[in-house]
Amino acid sequence: MRVIEEGKAEFLKVDPDGYRGYVRDNKPHQMVSKLMSHKDAVERFIRDGDYLAYDCNYFQRGPSSLIREIIRQNRKNLWLCGKFTYVACALLVEGGCADRIDIGFIGFGPWISRAVREGKCKIYEYSNALMTLRLKAGAMGLPFLPARSFGGTDGFERSACKLVEDPYTKQPVLLVPALNPDAAIIHVHQADEFGNARVFGTGITHQECALASKRVIVSAEEIVSTDEFRRDPARTSIPHFAVDAVVHAPFGAFPGTVQGYYASDPQGVVEAMGALYRGDFREYLKKHVYSVASHEEYLDKVVGAAKMIEMRRRETIREGYVS
Amino acid sequence: MSTPAEQFSEREFVICQIARLVEDQYIYWVGGGGEPLNSVLLAKRMTAPNLQYLTEDGVIGPEALVPFDPLMTMISSRANYRALQWGTMNYAADLAHLGYVDYGILNTLQVDRFGNVNSTVVGKYAGGEGRRFGGPGGADSIAALAWRTILITDQQKRKFVDRVDFISSPGFLDGPGARERHGLPPNTGPWRVYTPWARFGYDKNCQLTLEAIAPYVSVDQVLGEMSFKPVLAATVEVMEAPTDEELLILRTEIDVGGQVTDRGRWVELKDGKYQFAQQ
Repeated sequence: MRVIEEGKAEFLKVDPDGYRGYVRDNKPHQMVSKLMSHKDAVERFIRDGDYLAYDCNYFQRGPSSLIREIIRQNRKNLWLCGKFTYVACALLVEGGCADRIDIGFIGFGPWISRAVREGKCKIYEYSNALMTLRLKAGAMGLPFLPARSFGGTDGFERSACKLVEDPYTKQPVLLVPALNPDAAIIHVHQADEFGNARVFGTGITHQECALASKRVIVSAEEIVSTDEFRRDPARTSIPHFAVDAVVHAPFGAFPGTVQGYYASDPQGVVEAMGALYRGDFREYLKKHVYSVASHEEYLDKVVGAAKMIEMRRRETIREGYVS
Repeated sequence: MSTPAEQFSEREFVICQIARLVEDQYIYWVGGGGEPLNSVLLAKRMTAPNLQYLTEDGVIGPEALVPFDPLMTMISSRANYRALQWGTMNYAADLAHLGYVDYGILNTLQVDRFGNVNSTVVGKYAGGEGRRFGGPGGADSIAALAWRTILITDQQKRKFVDRVDFISSPGFLDGPGARERHGLPPNTGPWRVYTPWARFGYDKNCQLTLEAIAPYVSVDQVLGEMSFKPVLAATVEVMEAPTDEELLILRTEIDVGGQVTDRGRWVELKDGKYQFAQQ
């Protein structure tokens, strides 16, 4: 295949055979209970230097409670899959946890811009859909996938994409390298103790993200019995064997929404966006991460019952979200 | 009700113009919320009740319940209400690859004569020197894959430039044939550019062409707020003002809190002429 042009960015090594071997040797093929606390899950499955993917974002059915736990545990040198995101990357960079980002869309703001300028954070350019396509290639066990976008942009040379001559049509086509993150965190509506998981409503890339990643933590609003899955198997979004840890996280997406379960907390959203635009998350991190030892304590002391009741009350739409 | 309004904001003007283009028989990919979504929602209530749109999270044909909470334009129950199908991001991109997306509608930070869009950096990229923005997000997929793309930008010199500082999402790149050479599907690309003051199209050489102006500005005013001179159509039309009915729907059903339209200048009809209100 003739390479016409190629991007020059550093990228996570593409190794489908290595990933197959990892799946055979390390993924939990047997149904075993994986229920554990946020603390244990992050301690066991998120490591310094990991490539970390998260699905959705801090405001929309994202693993916000796990993001806070990662910052609390002071992970270092993470490389982030920054797609479809407002504040999650900025939080992790300012929390001292991340120093590389593949960008589809992220909220910048002065702090993260400064980190880039000072060379403390490296960035590589893609689009949202190219990052989800990279995860799809990773989830298919393939080394790359073609796409018909992004060619000719200025992001191209700052990515690891290649423009090649398609051997079938002889036309130019873009290739994206597969992405198999070291770790993924995904927030879902329901999971059982083994890691079978359901997402209701639209999503970004929860299934691909789970299948493509070596170590996967699923946080769930509700823990349900396996019988629930067997009653309605078409609604299973993620199979148990892709998952390493299951964390019960009611209001895990706070201050964001979980469709059909609770609305966002606009005040909490504006508070985080304000910190992003001011370029200073120190107060935010102090209040929302370091002031408590666990998600349970966070809900109790920082969020409070009144707010949670209000968020549930404001989510009036149920159609499509109840099992 | 369908009489021309006597007072409106220039933001409302843009939304009403785009809404008038939107038709039932096409599928639209709407970039985020703001003007693109409001245009489609207005069209749905005015002339195209059955039009379908999708957003980046793979929602197909929702009947969105506006207004949304801040930033909740996707992956939220109100944005995705009563859809025909719920998908994911790769699914949305698949549909666009397949050719189902007739039109994309995008708000842009900076746009150039070839319709290239910058949402990455204003100023220099190297060394992180320029002012950094979020990146292409979903706009690259829309700009590359929709059959026709409608771009929206402000009529300001710094936003309407000869060459964008960074091509985040492709327009015609550097002219005819460039998109195809870079692997983008043929017969696609920017189709119209709207600002609060003007409507532009493209000629066969992919050059931006001034086709119409708002009734409250002159051609010279429009050219004065561009960093380059566009091609002028043989006849530059004057667009019609929003109607009372459009504005009533926009203000009472769509942008109730003024989240989108409460910016920009106010226009009023005075002595039989539309002009900017004294503020």
